[in-house]
Parts: sequence; C-alpha cells; structure tokens
Amino acid sequence: MGTRLKQLKGSQVTLLVTLSVLLLFITSPIFYAVLASFKSNMEIFSSPFSLPKSWNFDNYIGAWNLGNFKTYFLNSAFITIGGMVLVALVAAPAGYAFAQLTFKGNNLLFYLVLLGMALPVQAIIIPIFFQLKSMGMVDTLTGVTLVSVGLALPFSIFLMRNTFRDVPKELRESAAIDGAGEWRTYWSVMLPLAKPGLVALLIFTFMNIWNDFLLPLVLLISQEKFTISLGLYSFQGEQSTNFGLIFGGTVISMIPSIIVYLIFQRSFVEGMASGANK
Amino acid sequence: MTQSTPLIEMDKKSVVAVNSRTKLKIKKAITIASFLLPGLILYAVFMLYPMIDAVRFSFFDWDGASPSMNFVGFENYVQLTKDDIFLKSLGHNLLWVLLSLTLMVVPTLVLAVLISRVKKGKMFFRAGFYLPSVLSLAVVGVLWSKIYDPMMGPINVFLKSIGLESLAKNWLGEPLFVIPALVIASTWAFYGLYLILFLAGLQSIDYSLYEAADIDGAGPIRKFWNITIPSLRNTLNVVISMVIIHALKGFALIWIMTQGGPFYMSELVSTYVYKAAFSMNKVSYATAGSVVLGIIVIAFTISFNYYRERTE
Repeated sequence: MGTRLKQLKGSQVTLLVTLSVLLLFITSPIFYAVLASFKSNMEIFSSPFSLPKSWNFDNYIGAWNLGNFKTYFLNSAFITIGGMVLVALVAAPAGYAFAQLTFKGNNLLFYLVLLGMALPVQAIIIPIFFQLKSMGMVDTLTGVTLVSVGLALPFSIFLMRNTFRDVPKELRESAAIDGAGEWRTYWSVMLPLAKPGLVALLIFTFMNIWNDFLLPLVLLISQEKFTISLGLYSFQGEQSTNFGLIFGGTVISMIPSIIVYLIFQRSFVEGMASGANK
Repeated sequence: MTQSTPLIEMDKKSVVAVNSRTKLKIKKAITIASFLLPGLILYAVFMLYPMIDAVRFSFFDWDGASPSMNFVGFENYVQLTKDDIFLKSLGHNLLWVLLSLTLMVVPTLVLAVLISRVKKGKMFFRAGFYLPSVLSLAVVGVLWSKIYDPMMGPINVFLKSIGLESLAKNWLGEPLFVIPALVIASTWAFYGLYLILFLAGLQSIDYSLYEAADIDGAGPIRKFWNITIPSLRNTLNVVISMVIIHALKGFALIWIMTQGGPFYMSELVSTYVYKAAFSMNKVSYATAGSVVLGIIVIAFTISFNYYRERTE
C-alpha cells in the first residue's frame, strides 16, 4: 500500500512538471510580447528572450498617444457596452418566449433563428455593407453596434431559450394566478432565476464584440472611428519596423479581455462548455 | 393546441363572451409579440435580409456604385468555376481544414486527458491553457507575424543563435510554409475552446469503467482507445465539426498576417471574396463566391446535425 501511494505521488509530480513546462511553452508568445513591449528595437533584436534592461513604458506611452489607442479604446467600449445592453434587452425576452410561452409557429420561428447560427458572417458581409450604406450608417459606431447585435442574436436567443427551459413552468403559472402580467412575471420572477445564463451571455457578447475584426474592418472607414482590433491592425501597418511600439500596442489591446477573463473565469469556462454542448 | 369551446347558441351572453375572448387573444398575441419582435426584427434586418440580398446580388452584374444592376443569371457562378484563384482558394480552405484537424483534435485531447488526471490544481491548468483563446484575433495575428518575422522574429533569431541558420526561413513569405505557419497561429488561438469541451466530456465518463479495466490489467493506451475515445464520441463529433466550420470561415488571422499572399499562396475564399468586393469593385461576383462558401458551411452544419441526431 505504501509503495502504491508513493508511486501515485511520483506520477502526480511528473504530471505536474510536464504540464507546467507545456503551459510555459504554449503561453510563451504572450510573455515574449510583454517583455518586448518594455524593450527598444535594438534590444528586441539582440536579446529577444531576456528580461528588459529597464522597465520603461515608452512604448506604451508612444502607442497610446501616437497610435491613437485612447480613441480606439473608447470606440470599442462604446460598441461593446451598447451591444451587451442591447443583446440582453432583446435576446433574453425572445429566448423566454420560445421557452415558456405557447403560441402558434413557435418551433418554426425557432428553426429560423437556428438557421442564423449556421450562417457564416462571411457569406452575408457584402450585402450587410450595402444595406448599412442605404441606411446611412456606414462608418458610424451605432451601425457597427446594431450589426454586431443582429449577428449575435441567433446564438444569444438559443442560449437564453435553453436557460429559461430549465426554469419550471409552474413558477410562471403561480405568478399569473397572483395576477402579475407576463412582463412583470418575466422581470421579477423569471429573469432573476436565469441569472447564470444571462451572465454567460454577457461575457460571450463582450468577448465577441470587443475582439471582433471583420465587422469593423468592413463597416468603418475613418481612423477616428476604429475599434481597438482595427486600430492595432492599422498601427502595425504604419509602424511595421518598430517592434517595440507594436508590442506596446499589442499588450494594451490584450489587457481588457484578459482582465474580464480573470474576473469571470469560472462562469466563462462553464458557459463555454454548456453553450457548445447543447 | 388551441382549445376551442363549441358555441351552442348565439345568444347575447355568448357573443359578449366571444368578444372578450378575442380581446384576450389579441392581448395575449401583443404580449407575445412584445417579447419576440425586437429580437426577431433585428435578426431579420441584419441577417435574414442580407442573406436574401446575397443570393439576389449573385445573379446580377453590379459594381456596388452604379444605379443599375444587370441580370446575368448564373453567369457569376459559371465564371467562378473558371477562376483559377477562386479554385485555388477553395483548395486552400480544404488544406486548412485538414491541417487544423491534425493539429487541433488529437493533441488537444491528449492535453485534456493529462489535465483531467491532475489531483490538485486542475483549475489552474484549465485556466492557463485557455488563456490564448481570450485574445482577439488582431492581437494573435500581430503577435504571430512578429514571431515569424524573418529578421527580428524570435524563431529565426533563436535558430541563428544555435547555428541552424539554414532552417531560418521567411515563414510567411514562402509558398511551402505560409499556410502551415498560419494554421499553427490559428490553432494556438482556438484550441482552448476544444480543450474545455474535452475536459467537460471527460468529466462525464463513468469512472468505474476504468476500475474494471484496471482489474482486467489494461494499460493506459488500451484504456484510452477502449474507454476514453468511445465515451467521448459525442464530444469528438462536436469538436471535429466545429474545427471544420472554423477552418472554412477563417478570415481575420490571414488578413492580418498575409492578406492572402504571397501571390495568392494563402488566399482563402473569405479573403479573396473580400478583396474582390471592396478593392476590385466586383461586388456581385464576390457575393456569388461568398454564397458558395455559405452554402458549403450551412450544408455541412445541417448534415452534421442530422447525422448526430440519428446516431445519438
């Protein structure tokens, strides 16, 4: 028994060491970028893998001011927050209706929504541009927000329908007996019970819109409207040989999503798994 | 499902009852619409309508600016079958699918199995290995194009420093290496999601199966093939289909890192279509190309789901 236990412990140690080395190797591009963001061009070239000689923030300051990252940051924040609010306000009630309310054509309409989950953005991005153009909203942050929400809806409605399906129907019925209207029941009884699903939805939406590249690329034209992803892309084009500055911009662009991830890590990962498995 | 109460006599009372019942019905319909419509309208305006438009555009000859559109029938689609670059792009998409499947599925599964064996600190490894997936594709694209940089990139600096100068290639500039190099970057960006799916799948395997195999004296490799893989069938199906769909839809990384170059060597359908529409003004032609891509993706998704429902 004693040797068996020792063996088990020994294999755990090997396992932990293997995984740690692997983790370090796989995440090394991130560390490389962070270290390089403190170095000058010369230093990146001569000693790419060492710690920087001094921790100076010139590259960050340069990217923030010279590269307009401040503007990009605010634009991304506008689109992302607006999108999150709109998705939650619109997708949650629709998912609720599909899960809890009985009406004719429920299934048919839901299949129509599912179709949107299969449809790749790439297939419709060209007409989207021309439609937004006819609405006078190309090169506006509102336009990007609305399109982002529209594209996020199939999955969001699907997710909220699954969430609301797990809430017992009896709760809704007993609230109805107490004389509460459908919307009141929704806000005060049902929505609080769907909180985990709603949190997952908000995190998804944040990641999707904040990190999106294709929609801003197609729908935004003037530099002062760029989002952070698009801004980073154009910055790397302008400063193609200035590695230090580019890494400064890259690290600035990483920080918000990493912070959100670290805060919501658990519900993030679980939402991912449940969302994709259903 | 609607309940109908037979109307026996049309006296005044029942007319009033019917009236108030229709009123109730209308009220109920309005309530339901108020839940559904805002979402459905946004979805219709920004997805369904453009979908119809995409099909419509593809039957015309239009440059995106002129007020008139000429109907040309299937001409755009016929042209596509004669367009070497489009066909090449489709081929690259296929290559991309195969390389992604090779790099993504088995290595990620092995990693998941290793993590699932950890007794203390499982959460730490799960969170750590997921980290690259949190980054935006713009970040991944810029970061990896610097990693692959022929002069200053760390790969070549390292190879030169250990005297393997001949192995230091222009990774994104040579036809043979560009697609594999891009797929590696893309694998790095996406494997995290699959890792989490595998971990969730592994968690639901009945542990007693392994104990029974232990009693039979089965080694770890036999247990992997005879228990782990069959129990993960559903998860494997989901992961494989997601990898394929992702590979068909790839755009951002390629656009940021190579824009399809050099000489169309890393052109995918999505990048080619984007160029054709927005820099060559061949709007309707490009739309036809994107419709082809859309049909492939939707057909694959639907048939996969059909297959899955049948086998489950």
